[in-house]
Amino acid sequence: MVEDNTSRRRVLKGAGVAGATGLVTSFAGCLGDDDPDVEGADELDEEVPEIHLVAPTAGTNPFRNELASIIADNWEEIGFEVDLEELEFGAHVDKAVVQQDFDASLLGWGGTPERIDPHTFIYDMHHSNNTAEGGRNTPGYENDEYDELAELQVTQVDEDERQQTVYDAQEIIAEDQPRTYIANEGGYHPYASARVTDVDPTLGEGLNSFWNMISATPTDDDTVRFGYPSEIISLNPMQDLATPDRQFVRLIYDQLYRIDEDGFPSPWLATDDPEIEDDGMTYTLEIRDGVTFHDGEDLTVEDVEFTYEMYADSPTYSDLVDVIDEIDTSGNEITFHLEEQYAPFTANVLGQVYIFPEHIWGDVDPDDLVDFEDENWTGSGPFEFRDWERQAELQLEAFDDHFETPNADTFIRIPGSDTSTLVNSLESGQIDMVGAVPQPTAVDRVRDDDELDLADFDAVGYAMVEYNTRREPLDDRHARRALSYGVPKEEYVEFIRDGMGTVTHTTISEHNEFWHNPDVEEFYEDLEAAQQELADGGYGWDDDGRLHYGADQ
Amino acid sequence: MGLRAYVARRILQLIVTFWAFFTLLFVLFRMMPGDPTSMFIMDGMTPEQREQRIAELGLDQPLYVQYVEYARQLLTGDFGQSFIYRDPVIDIIVVRFMNTIVLMGTALVIAYLIGITFGAIMGWWRDSRFERGGIVVTLIARSSPEFWVGIVLLSVFAFWLGWFPSSGMRTTGGELGGGFVARYGSADFLRHLFLPALTGAIVYLATPTLLMRSTMLDVLNADFIEIKKAEGLPERTVLYKHAARNSILPIVTVMAIATGAAMGGSVVIETVFNWPGMGREMVNAVNNNDYPLAMAAFFLMGSVVIIMNFIADLTYVYLDPRVEYE
Repeated sequence: MVEDNTSRRRVLKGAGVAGATGLVTSFAGCLGDDDPDVEGADELDEEVPEIHLVAPTAGTNPFRNELASIIADNWEEIGFEVDLEELEFGAHVDKAVVQQDFDASLLGWGGTPERIDPHTFIYDMHHSNNTAEGGRNTPGYENDEYDELAELQVTQVDEDERQQTVYDAQEIIAEDQPRTYIANEGGYHPYASARVTDVDPTLGEGLNSFWNMISATPTDDDTVRFGYPSEIISLNPMQDLATPDRQFVRLIYDQLYRIDEDGFPSPWLATDDPEIEDDGMTYTLEIRDGVTFHDGEDLTVEDVEFTYEMYADSPTYSDLVDVIDEIDTSGNEITFHLEEQYAPFTANVLGQVYIFPEHIWGDVDPDDLVDFEDENWTGSGPFEFRDWERQAELQLEAFDDHFETPNADTFIRIPGSDTSTLVNSLESGQIDMVGAVPQPTAVDRVRDDDELDLADFDAVGYAMVEYNTRREPLDDRHARRALSYGVPKEEYVEFIRDGMGTVTHTTISEHNEFWHNPDVEEFYEDLEAAQQELADGGYGWDDDGRLHYGADQ
Repeated sequence: MGLRAYVARRILQLIVTFWAFFTLLFVLFRMMPGDPTSMFIMDGMTPEQREQRIAELGLDQPLYVQYVEYARQLLTGDFGQSFIYRDPVIDIIVVRFMNTIVLMGTALVIAYLIGITFGAIMGWWRDSRFERGGIVVTLIARSSPEFWVGIVLLSVFAFWLGWFPSSGMRTTGGELGGGFVARYGSADFLRHLFLPALTGAIVYLATPTLLMRSTMLDVLNADFIEIKKAEGLPERTVLYKHAARNSILPIVTVMAIATGAAMGGSVVIETVFNWPGMGREMVNAVNNNDYPLAMAAFFLMGSVVIIMNFIADLTYVYLDPRVEYE
């Protein structure tokens, strides 16, 4: 109980006077203590197995680390035994997502623009096809009724019909709680308002957004200097890339469509929305005239066709274009024939495949694509590559012949050892923007500085607790629902994250307005409801308050 | 045992040390949880892609096969290819290693120049106020954590006075690359170097100062100093030419070892000042489970320590014939 009290105190200290309500919620569970108010099963069977909760270390994610210890306390409060294990990011992913060696895991899912289309969150994360080791359905959730809906939404080209299906699917998982959907972790990215104007933080990405990078305008010179707490791996779009890499690759390379500021795919190298035939399996679009690559060569429909074939042969990204059966071209038009209906095709395929110059990549063997070094990284995007020294700086310059010329002539990416060093550099005038959320103390400094400001953004991704439904007692919906009642979502957003973000109860963020179902079942922290849920499920408590299976279960 | 036999034995020891070091590194990294694909999984790498990548990297092979393969590679001077960057490890670390050497080298030179002089004077003026004050200052420097010294210097010189930049190695946006002189000789570079090097110098200053002072005290008690004084030589000459010179011997050994240690200690300074050096690359490589890169980085840094110790031993024998070859 000693540990219990310190962790709560730390949270409440930050809450100050406003914490009064939080205080009531926080300690509500303590009142009942060893003597549950709820009557459980009379005849008890064996103890419910200990719950192995895997969570990030304070160094990896201080907010979630703090939350994990409160969750563990709450769960113990309602009679579970909890073994909390804190791991670094890589080890955590390996243990929970790959090895699937966990009962509960507190992790986050990032909300990159291509995840604004609900497919990733509905199908990849919850369909029973994706439960293999390393698959996105980490909980191993299987529900036939749900699977049908997840499959149906893929085929629905009509957006309103698809919306209804996505709504229904959200209702089912909200009831089943394979995960506790905790919060969309929006936040602020700091920038120097005295040196850069027209910043454009967008949904899910803040200042890392493509639209911000082409819109940001330096005030006194021609350069924007952008800091990020890690170096990128490569500019080769065919390599295995992480989100920070893609955020720069897409400045240099163009796609046919880009996800716009509202989260919908909008025409980019294409002239208009694709024409989709009634069977939902044929997409036709026209390529813009007069687009050139950075070396001056024209970008033609042949380059586009070549690119899609190259992706199909590549060991890293063939999955992405798997659904394409055949490609036809005619004049400036290109037609994709799909093998099956795939509603997110525009957002998740046409919007993600980078168009390559055939005259440079044409002779590369598919197996060598990942290692191919195009020293100039010739694309057709709004910025062209100038130079790069790893860990020091990456220099890009505006491509003046682009149809959307960026406002900064030079764009420099500076990797930092951590976010606080970057905020220091921002304050000393060495960089102009930081694409990461600073520590609360640094946020206050930025607020007080006349030359600096914070850019707010909302998130599509979320923090969650995943339950391993392959194991007891998490195979039981009542147990999962009870555990969800033990997660203090509001306290997390208001106090631990200092107001950054929004509470969620479903897999689709409320900021993703079109696809978000606002009427799903909601789980707030409520330890009595948790106990009631367990009692309804046939569980009972012994004299020490420890949870047992009921004899009748 | 003669000098030659001693050197031969010492070289043999060196080889064994390298082998043990390398093996330990290999085992440690393979025991770490996770693998090089972990960082991509949350970004959408599918289970099939993951398995394919693991096989490509040879990580599905039994551990001893990987060990033999890696040892074979290393013997031919090849550090392999980075798992994450997919570039030859050597290309990635050479530049970073140079950046670290320039930074820590400068710090050590400053530390030892000041330390030796300061220590000699403290020893000479034994029991003076200067000596007592000096010891306090030195001990404070010695017990200050590197990151704290760095932050204090940053607050004063970068944020308050604004004389020096707070991070990086040069003003961004200029020409990259260039020769050694262009990279490390420019005024802009020196301005960026000042604070991190000073941080290192303050932290490494205490050892030579205290050591110099205590050996000075020993030497000053020796009869020949009395004789030199009795000969009527000026105090200054006795101090520098006879006392200090004879006290410097242990410093040489310590300096060699400190150079090795400083390479490892650079991680903190590089982090605070965002210096694009080896230490930061090492931390990244470990976080990403990029075994070849991480191992090469540790191997290089460890090699500096091992070789410097070796050199220290040999120098000692050379400088002081009284040392037994045992």
